[in-house]
Amino acid sequence: MTLLADIREAPPVEPGQNLATVSNRVSDIALRMPTPRWWWAGFGASFLLFIILCIAAGNLFVSGIGIWGVNIPVAWGFALANYVWWIGVASGGTIISALFFITRSEWRTAVNRVAETMTLFAAAAAGLMPIFHLGRQGLFYWLFPYPNVMGIWPQFRSPLLWDFFALLCYIIASILFWYIGLLPDWAALRDRAPTRWQQVFYGTLACGWTGAARHWKRFRVVYGIMCAFMAPMVMSVHSIVGLDFAGGLTPGWHSTQFPPYFVFGAVYSGFATVLFLVLPIRRLYRLEAFITEYHINALAKMMLATGLMLTYSYALEAFMPYYSGNPYDVKQIRNDFFDLYALQYWGKILFNVVIPQLLWFPRLRLNEPLLFLVSVGIIFGMWLERYVIVVSSLYQDFMPSAWYFFAGSLWDWLTLAGSIGLFLTGIFIFLRLVPIIAMFEMRELVHREEGAG
Amino acid sequence: MSPEPKAPGADLAALRRRLAGTRGRVYWRSLEEVARSPSFLAWLEGEFPGLVGAIDPGLDRRRFLQVMAASFAFAGLAGCGPEPETRYLVPQVEAPEGIVPGVPRHFATATMLDGFAEGVIVKHVDGRPIKIEGNPQHPASLGATSPWGQASILGLYDPDRSQAVIRAGGSSTWERFSSLILERREQWQRDGGKGLRLLTGTMTSPSFAAQIAELRRRYPEARWHQWDAANRDAAQSGAMIAYGRPLDILLDLDKADVILAVESDMLSSAPGHLRYARHFAARRRAAEVGARMSRVYAIESAPTLAGSMADHHFLLRPEEIVMTLFAIAGALHALPDQGYGAAAPPWAAAVARDLQQHRGAALVHVGGDQPAIAHALAHLINDSLAAPGATLRHIDPVALEAGDQLGALTDLVSAMNAGAVDTLFILGANPVFTVPADLGFAEALKRVHISVHLGEYFDETAAACQWHVPETHEYEAWSDARAFDGTATILQPQVRATHSRRSVHEIMGLLLGQLSPDAYQIVRGYWQGEAEKPGEADFASFWTQSVRDGLVAGSSAKPVEATTLPDLGARLRPPLSARSQAPTILFRPDAAVWDGRFANNGWLQEMPRPHTTLTWDNAAIMSPATASRFGLADENVIELRDDQNTLHAPVLVLPGIAPDCVLLPFGEGRSKGGAVGVGVGFDAYLLRRSDGLRQRSGVSLRKIEGKWRLALRQHHQMMAGRPIVRTGDLDSFLRDAEFLHKEEAEERKRHGEVEASLYPRRAYDGNAWAMAISLDSCIGCGACVLACQAENNLAVVGKEEVLRGHEMHWLRVDRYYSGSPDDPETLFQPVPCMHCEDAPCEVVCPVQATVHDSDGLNLMVYNRCVGTRFCSNNCPYKVRRFNFFDFTAKDPRPRESWNPDVTVRARGVMEKCTYCIQRIREAKILADRENRPIREGEVKTACQQACPTEAIVFGDKNDEASAVSKRKASPLDYALLDGLNTRPRTTYAARLYNRNPELAEG
Repeated sequence: MTLLADIREAPPVEPGQNLATVSNRVSDIALRMPTPRWWWAGFGASFLLFIILCIAAGNLFVSGIGIWGVNIPVAWGFALANYVWWIGVASGGTIISALFFITRSEWRTAVNRVAETMTLFAAAAAGLMPIFHLGRQGLFYWLFPYPNVMGIWPQFRSPLLWDFFALLCYIIASILFWYIGLLPDWAALRDRAPTRWQQVFYGTLACGWTGAARHWKRFRVVYGIMCAFMAPMVMSVHSIVGLDFAGGLTPGWHSTQFPPYFVFGAVYSGFATVLFLVLPIRRLYRLEAFITEYHINALAKMMLATGLMLTYSYALEAFMPYYSGNPYDVKQIRNDFFDLYALQYWGKILFNVVIPQLLWFPRLRLNEPLLFLVSVGIIFGMWLERYVIVVSSLYQDFMPSAWYFFAGSLWDWLTLAGSIGLFLTGIFIFLRLVPIIAMFEMRELVHREEGAG
Repeated sequence: MSPEPKAPGADLAALRRRLAGTRGRVYWRSLEEVARSPSFLAWLEGEFPGLVGAIDPGLDRRRFLQVMAASFAFAGLAGCGPEPETRYLVPQVEAPEGIVPGVPRHFATATMLDGFAEGVIVKHVDGRPIKIEGNPQHPASLGATSPWGQASILGLYDPDRSQAVIRAGGSSTWERFSSLILERREQWQRDGGKGLRLLTGTMTSPSFAAQIAELRRRYPEARWHQWDAANRDAAQSGAMIAYGRPLDILLDLDKADVILAVESDMLSSAPGHLRYARHFAARRRAAEVGARMSRVYAIESAPTLAGSMADHHFLLRPEEIVMTLFAIAGALHALPDQGYGAAAPPWAAAVARDLQQHRGAALVHVGGDQPAIAHALAHLINDSLAAPGATLRHIDPVALEAGDQLGALTDLVSAMNAGAVDTLFILGANPVFTVPADLGFAEALKRVHISVHLGEYFDETAAACQWHVPETHEYEAWSDARAFDGTATILQPQVRATHSRRSVHEIMGLLLGQLSPDAYQIVRGYWQGEAEKPGEADFASFWTQSVRDGLVAGSSAKPVEATTLPDLGARLRPPLSARSQAPTILFRPDAAVWDGRFANNGWLQEMPRPHTTLTWDNAAIMSPATASRFGLADENVIELRDDQNTLHAPVLVLPGIAPDCVLLPFGEGRSKGGAVGVGVGFDAYLLRRSDGLRQRSGVSLRKIEGKWRLALRQHHQMMAGRPIVRTGDLDSFLRDAEFLHKEEAEERKRHGEVEASLYPRRAYDGNAWAMAISLDSCIGCGACVLACQAENNLAVVGKEEVLRGHEMHWLRVDRYYSGSPDDPETLFQPVPCMHCEDAPCEVVCPVQATVHDSDGLNLMVYNRCVGTRFCSNNCPYKVRRFNFFDFTAKDPRPRESWNPDVTVRARGVMEKCTYCIQRIREAKILADRENRPIREGEVKTACQQACPTEAIVFGDKNDEASAVSKRKASPLDYALLDGLNTRPRTTYAARLYNRNPELAEG
């Protein structure tokens, strides 16, 4: 409880904000503010990367996954590492939005829209990866248990199948959650829109929201249910992703700790990504009044907490092989420490364990450039973690005669870069068109704060 | 149908020119005159066989027209030569009797390596040959095949094979060529064939022998030379020294209790190696069936298959090998001992004692790469061990005029340089590539007036000759050849030769004046003369039976009595050799492409070489100690230079090479002869010299900049302490047959592992297909790998893809080392799919693309696979292969040669060993039709069928009498990685060593 007490030291909204300033400040960004130059630069660069993704995918569909570095024995490579990475990033938004809605944590209000949007586009990037990963991409729908004349069903014992279900549900639910949460704000924008096309555009999206009490009542119910649904779902998604690995008998994967291990990692990278986005956004759009140091502090502390959980998993991962004495597992963890992918392994320890310890110090938590760099380090470190898990476990498993190594090809790197392009392109479009702070929730908060004050 | 037959352009034009301006009766008389010219006769014979005889001087105009009209009418049926007009194929609306679509037919013939036949049976489906199997009746095969035998079918379909007669770089025709030869013939008839030379590879063909004899009778001045880069000169010279005459040795390895293998090729490439391997392996497995296991010693400088099977393996430099043989011979009192034992390693005395104790059941075999003196010493030792008649037999040489190929070749080259060679026929050989560099064959060839090359490919020699005639493949022409023991096989063509391809016999026929030589007539004619009963009926049945069986009954050579020359022991003196600082270069034929002749065969190029597991390359191979002496590591590039040539080669560090020796496999580095083989590896022939065919010094070695990537199949040599290849001592086994599993049980107790499963055991009531692989028997030759490739339509992926870990072999032969890296023990282990009963691959596939069937097979449903590759990750044995690209479409193998019973796999689909399920289904359908169970032995997997050592046994585990059940009942049987509880259907029998107690672990 000390954590929460600490958060309460700083105000969740800067003093002097009232209901009108909230709506004006936020809706003006979407409706009236001229598109800033940095937006064009950022969007242009992101879109370029997105085009690279299209080219990489095009080549993939024409040539086959042989263009990647995957081989036998390392049959999984970047696509799977990217997938786990992106789905982890996505989780951060859901945790902030849904879990902390349920706990009624008021610090979530200012950042939940950014977090949810991040979830949306990270999930989109994540969703592409398993499809790219397939040898026959066009047949991905065969994982779906649809009735067919041949009476063929998927293999229900396979974790990959459940991963497919979990991912599909998660993406659909994330879209719905994001969209439903936006309904009152769509309507607000519609009502404030100065031009005809904006009225039509936001009006269409608002689906006839009038702010009637009945609307609000239903909205509250649906939103509450969605949150109650999403919070456990995000746990299950990552547990299933963990089971993708734990279900295999490969040394380094075959471990019961994988589901929580992956949840920790996912939430960790999710918080890092939220910080990565929120820190510049609040400065660039001058939203310091709404996204305050209170939020930054809270996010940094959450990040530290999940980072410690992850550290525990890392420790367990290194301890269990020696405890069990299984020679294959011992060889595997020694490989992590000392062999071909040791650089990546120690890189992940550095970025995910060592550097984030700086966040113990309140002053450093509020040092925005430093926090930004730590967050970027964690995002990178989490990618390294997924890379090590996928590759380092596969390249030397049971039969020494089959041992070989993996190195990402040019197309692997382009696909990764392109997926970042897809994510950032989406974020930039969001920044331009969508209210980046949940106005109605913020108004509610301001109202409560006023009442309290 | 064209009213006018195609004519050899120049001749007809000349004819027209000469006829222009003439008229009336003169016309016909002139034509008759023209028709008498040899070139016209040659053309006429080629175009209208039989017409030549009809044109006699008394032929009148009416008769001429009748004959011509008839010939024109049949011209379209002749079907030879490239013609522009449209032709129509007539479908088999009523199929010929006996051909059922989809039902294979089998025809016997033989495949050859350096002239020696290996009997094979070619499987045809719908008229196309698709697969090679060994001929069980043939003594050199016993049903097994070599990798070369398996790959020969791909050679038949090779689209790079030469198709047209080429003259000086431009295209020409057979007719022009034959008319040239017929013209030359008049000259030879006048001067007795002076200046006429023939150069072939090693020949064993009886028909060819008869043709040569005939040639020599007609042209007494003509000369015939033979040259094969991996010839057996040294063995024959050794016999000359020891017996005063050339002799071949036949081994009876089934009777040998103690074998000393001196860099022996008896299991890899010596004529008869498949038979030897069978007998050898039977004695290695003997302990399991209560018989006596053989003991094998090996001394060698470069790794051999026999050396890898040895109980005691000694790595020696070449000169030390000879000295050790002297010491052993001395210890056996086979020669006056002059203190050789002191110079030899200490174990030599123990080996000699062991040999001595098994007198009459021991033998020494020396490989073809060893010098003559080593062979002579072996004869001496074998004699003193009373081996002849007991464990080996002598026969007269099977190869025609065996002996000194190098001497004959040197004579030829000096004659060529002296301008004494007017016409040189190079038949089925590639001397420009394979002749030692110092002889300067290519230069000498320029001094030959007319040079003719008959070869399957437009290779280095073809390019250097004036004429090139495309040669038939061994499956395209009638021929005959002998096996290692003299057994003759009549080779029958499996397909009709196309593209004016001719066989050696036909060229010889042309030289002998036959206008349209026909190999069938030549070979049949020879055997007709040979048949004991001349009556036509008897001959017909003799012919039919011989061709059908794939061998001529009773044609094997009779053993001859041979005694070593009395003063042999006294005459033999160790050669003086000073060990120099410079490395000794060892030249050995490449284990896959041989002397370079198979360089265009993608299967062989991609076959991991037995010890190196290298594909698509050769390398300068050296031991770790040598490499560190020169500061070299894998994939470094070195420059090797002698006073004549320089070559660049990649370094491959391999345990098991004698110190300060660099092994250069020759055969790669082709510059012409097909798109597959050109540019692969380096040409080691550049450093080979006539005085250093197998080893030499005087080569400087220098590391140069750069990296030469080597596509190795296996990158880790050691088992990392894991129980993968299990071994034991014969003594332990005899004391307690269960010793292997005792250790295991204790191991399990220590780790607390229990075999338990949450899933109920499935019962397999019908057949339970299973495989047992004896590691005592596997010699690592790789025949199984190629058999699998041929049977299952496995794609060739190329060097780049092998480098990227994308190779597609369903069956691999793993190679591990144990012991010291300076002289390690080599262990081979074939790894197909284990067909686990609790298969880890099956549970992780999200779409059920890999499932179990009721016989317990782990199936791969290609159509259903979406390519998640989780199955491969979860396969602890890593036997699954993935179509990363559309390898099938890119595979150069022509579609018509694919096995129609096996689905080809699409891009993005996983594949793996199926236990040759198509063969199981075929047997099952037959059995169901006959309302009976499948019989034991009815289903053989491709690997099992090809295996020379019967290391692989396949069958029904439910049948207790089956061979596989018996193998699995052996106390040596174990499951690979059994701690994972996968319950594999494929199990292994541990390898036993029969160590000499005297030499035990020093």
